[in-house]
Amino acid sequence: MDPYYVALTTITLASIYGLLALGISIIWSSLGMINMAQGFTFALSGYGAWLVSQYIGTNGVVVVAGGVLTGALAGALVGGIAFIPLYDKPNFPLRSLIATLAIAMLGSQSLLYWFGPRVKALPKVFGVGSIHIGSAVASYDKIGTIVCSAALLLITLAWMKRSRRGLEIRAMMQNPEGAALVGVGLRSTAMSVMMMTGAMTGLAAVLLSQNFFVSPFAGTMPLVKGMVVALAGGLGSVAGALIAALLIGLIEAMTAVELGGQYVLITQFAFIIAVLLVRPRGIAGMIEHTRE
Amino acid sequence: MTDLLRVENLSAGYGPLGVLHNVSLTVRAGERIGIVGLNGHGKSTLLKAIVGLTGWQSGSIQYNGVEIGGTRSQGPGRNTHKIVRMGLSLMPQGDALFHGLTVSDHLDSGAYTPKAWRERKQRRERILSIFPPLEKLLAQPVGKLSGGERRMVSIGRGLMDDAKLLLIDEPSLGLAPKISKGLVEALMQIDLRDGAMVIAEQNISLLEGKVSRLVGLHAGKLKGGATAPDALLSEHMHHRH
Repeated sequence: MDPYYVALTTITLASIYGLLALGISIIWSSLGMINMAQGFTFALSGYGAWLVSQYIGTNGVVVVAGGVLTGALAGALVGGIAFIPLYDKPNFPLRSLIATLAIAMLGSQSLLYWFGPRVKALPKVFGVGSIHIGSAVASYDKIGTIVCSAALLLITLAWMKRSRRGLEIRAMMQNPEGAALVGVGLRSTAMSVMMMTGAMTGLAAVLLSQNFFVSPFAGTMPLVKGMVVALAGGLGSVAGALIAALLIGLIEAMTAVELGGQYVLITQFAFIIAVLLVRPRGIAGMIEHTRE
Repeated sequence: MTDLLRVENLSAGYGPLGVLHNVSLTVRAGERIGIVGLNGHGKSTLLKAIVGLTGWQSGSIQYNGVEIGGTRSQGPGRNTHKIVRMGLSLMPQGDALFHGLTVSDHLDSGAYTPKAWRERKQRRERILSIFPPLEKLLAQPVGKLSGGERRMVSIGRGLMDDAKLLLIDEPSLGLAPKISKGLVEALMQIDLRDGAMVIAEQNISLLEGKVSRLVGLHAGKLKGGATAPDALLSEHMHHRH
């Protein structure tokens, strides 16, 4: 086993899963909604980036921007349909779960209808080639994936920490009534959460499409993995989601190298079952526990 | 003096439960009003209804001549942020704080207008001069603070923006007598400028002689009101003993 390869693959996967999981986690803790349409946002962003590469330009920056923008728009669409009309109705968690699931299915079928079943390939936004550092080999797309997602993560976290909007989101995550009392409008804040997480999903879609094709149902597996990471991390915790993303990425890389790619889902689910048996609230629950 | 707040025939409650029945109350600029009454008689509900946080309500609430009440049967809190942004500030019972956020984050969160947000550092200093114990706690998450410290954070948060009407719910709740006295003193020190302050409080002796007038709330109805506070008070005292 090549430790450099495993480490690099782990970090690459972790950055993509981290983006997805953080989106799911932030939506859950600030809006109280499990967003099953995250997979649809992912697939739509892939097509958005593909359309941009077909009609506007194949420049890496342009394609990435296309994916991120489509993701933000898809997030706003999901928020407008599944959150705004439903959030103050009884039994909102279940209603929104069903609404987002419906958007996911309807959306994927619409993509199939418009774009057909043939998969599309995105241009290599980071170019083809690799860098040699000592005995380690790192391809451009892996480095690009890590750099891009780290950059977006840092920007998002800094924005959450420093801006008024970020403070409003953090306040709403902790106590919606208290947030209303300091002038935070639930609807507009919710829409900015949806657009922000949508943009993160859009970036993840472009990054993952460097190795996989864009297809109508491309979002299913990323949704499952994002959910797994978010749950294992402890829903609502940024640190927990990032640690869980690293662990899940490591497990995927190790399993693929040692056992074979077909066993990846088995080991990942075995891991999350083990985590949830020991810590029902996920890894973040563990951190909070040791801190006390 | 102009009427800052005019409440007329306000009824409000939660689900099938009616808590307030045809309450009318006028608050003029420059006043400090104490609303007294026993637990469960509607003090908190009155303050919540003013910012639209009750389950349902009917009747009229005018703030600076603008209607913010009206009849509504659902959506508690849907318009609260807009009402708050008009210049009302509620410091609720139980504080409605954000347990994972630090004290300085809380104070910042109270600065919701762009102007207040730009000036948040200076404004924070002003709050710290009112509540000096918070100075050392700025980086602490609020979940770790004591009850008295939380009340200071909650009230400090409500003072960060230029709210004209301060609604303070039970400043003494759960606090040691000495601390609640100090807190009420601090509230009396706050410069109202052309605004007003409404304090809901169970313990009359804390407010007696310090506020412009006392209004009693009994079984969801205002008693006496501004015209005959003494009669009301003696009746209220009678209930307590």
